[in-house]
Amino acid sequence: MKPGHKPFLQRLSADAPLLFILIAMVVLMALLLPGRFLASYNLVNLANQLPVLALLSIGMMVSMLSGGINLAIVAAANFTGIVTALTMDWLTGGAAATAGLPVILLSMAVGLAACMVIALLTGFLIAWLEIPPILATLGVMMLLDGLSIVMTRGYTLSGFPPFVVEIGNGSLFWAIPNAFVILVLVILALHFVLNRSPFGFKLYMLGANPRAAEYSNIDTRMVLMKQYALSFLLAALTGFIMMGQFNSVKANYAESYVLVTVLACFLGGINPFGGDGRLSGIVLAAVILQTISSGVNLLGVDPFFVTAMWGAIILIVIAVSHLTGRHSIQAMIRALGLGRDKAAARPETKE
Amino acid sequence: MKLFQRSEFYLVVLIALICIFITSQNPNFLTLQNLYGVLRSASVNGIFAVGVLFVLILGGTPDVSFPAIAQVTQYVAVLALIAIGGGNIALAFAIAIVLGAVMGALNGIIIQIFRVTTIVVTIATFNLYFGMLYVLSRGDVLFEVPRPFHDFGGTLLFAREGANGAVYGLSLLPVLWLAVMIVGWFILRRTMLGRSIFAMGGDEVSAVRIGVNTFAVRLFVFSFVGALAGIAGIAHASLVLSAIPNSIVGVELEVIAAVVLGGASLFGGKGTVTGTMLGVLLFAILRNGLVLLNISSYWYDVTIGIAIILGMSANAWQQLRARRNQVNVAVEGEAP
Repeated sequence: MKPGHKPFLQRLSADAPLLFILIAMVVLMALLLPGRFLASYNLVNLANQLPVLALLSIGMMVSMLSGGINLAIVAAANFTGIVTALTMDWLTGGAAATAGLPVILLSMAVGLAACMVIALLTGFLIAWLEIPPILATLGVMMLLDGLSIVMTRGYTLSGFPPFVVEIGNGSLFWAIPNAFVILVLVILALHFVLNRSPFGFKLYMLGANPRAAEYSNIDTRMVLMKQYALSFLLAALTGFIMMGQFNSVKANYAESYVLVTVLACFLGGINPFGGDGRLSGIVLAAVILQTISSGVNLLGVDPFFVTAMWGAIILIVIAVSHLTGRHSIQAMIRALGLGRDKAAARPETKE
Repeated sequence: MKLFQRSEFYLVVLIALICIFITSQNPNFLTLQNLYGVLRSASVNGIFAVGVLFVLILGGTPDVSFPAIAQVTQYVAVLALIAIGGGNIALAFAIAIVLGAVMGALNGIIIQIFRVTTIVVTIATFNLYFGMLYVLSRGDVLFEVPRPFHDFGGTLLFAREGANGAVYGLSLLPVLWLAVMIVGWFILRRTMLGRSIFAMGGDEVSAVRIGVNTFAVRLFVFSFVGALAGIAGIAHASLVLSAIPNSIVGVELEVIAAVVLGGASLFGGKGTVTGTMLGVLLFAILRNGLVLLNISSYWYDVTIGIAIILGMSANAWQQLRARRNQVNVAVEGEAP
């Protein structure tokens, strides 16, 4: 059965634990921060901060659908921003803030092209040389971080034209941030790519069973190439939004997000061995993480305590999902015959 | 196995080429003084790497929590020695090893009970340990490490006077690294426990059926990684003579990369102590080479990235060819 064509009831129940956690978190934050968390300015703030985490998490999820991982995702976002900024700087002779629209678009195209070259390199390493994705993307990550530092000499480049700042910070439609609009459009597009297109179908199939995919005459290498191109494309998009939001670019911005996106994938029920994972799950997981992070930020908690809390939350989620969560819900669905689950047809994977 | 089919062989060739290149640019590379320095700076990562090797052989994904464990054990051991006003280095090691083993064991227990991928659990414990260390220590840096750390880090074997009058020699840290490697090699190659680790990495279900106690083996491996992280933490404190709460974290990906370059499989069941040592040495030599060639440290990440990509490509290419040859042999064998 095509992923995404599952019965409505099953789709809803698969996301039920996440929806429950989200509601619990929102209620908790609203109680801890009366009148502040649910205030309209905070909600706008949330909508403004969500896209970076959500887009990176979706990019990570795309790489995980075939059982891979993309550790270079944040490095690629920074790299794209830096190449764009430097191109703009060069084209305007050092006055990037005054760049006109054609120059801006040209610079962004150069940044995107640079990111796509890296995507092709990564895809080649994984698809043709069959290097384990965790290692290939680790090498690419170090390469990109290094190139970014060399290009900027470790400095922060700042001061971009209003158009770039608008992408990250402005709002064209009432109070809805542009970045959030971009996120919604990306989710819609990704929904069609993953759940309705032949590529999406092949990608899930490759993840579920690479050998079966190969014997079904699927060009697995081409699928892998496209998959990493898509993952890096999402990273580049995030890079543009980050440029606007910070009005600056730097080699190591948001580095800790790599692990947070892995956490989002885990929370969102993405199978790290591939073949299983819903877009709705990852989006909900990103919203939950952003809610928690904004909430504790408003509470004024020690940031290192927040670090410790992330760890504790993962361990709690692991324990809860093991004891009550996902597994038993899926087992119940199978027992009721509400739909066939992929996991049912597959033998137990290691770990 | 044929020599040229082993990843160790390619690593030795790669390291030799790099050494020749660096020496041709700066003859100071091939002096005893410099080589002692390379070994000394590689020791901490080298000790970590032996632990990472065990986890990779066990299978699943790599452990990333070891730098946080080292960070915590180092801080606690230094605090403890300050509190009793001296003590000796053996006590510091004992504290670090016991504490590290307990912290590592927690990883193993969680993985065994909840059946979750190692990397997810260890990301969680990394954040938990590191965050709690910062909260409890308030980020205070301990610049005054007690005397025993100075003594341990400063002891030199085969000491002699260099051309410029400075005394140089082999530090105790590489000796400690060597001891850890010998213990690691002995466990992996000469004990039932080692065979069980390889068996679980090859196929956990088969391992259960031949009677391997998977819980005991997993508990051992993760406690061992924790204990080694403790040892590395003390070694690091003796090297830099301070305990800074964030001075070790960040090495995790480089150490994992070194172990995998050394031929350990990310899919478990494969890996050698020799290869691991070569992977660690490669990175240490690269770092040293950049300094000797007067190249800005900005280029370090680029060089490491390229080294990982090239090393892995060579390794993968050779594996692909080996697999193709195997297929041919099988087809020939079936011919009537």
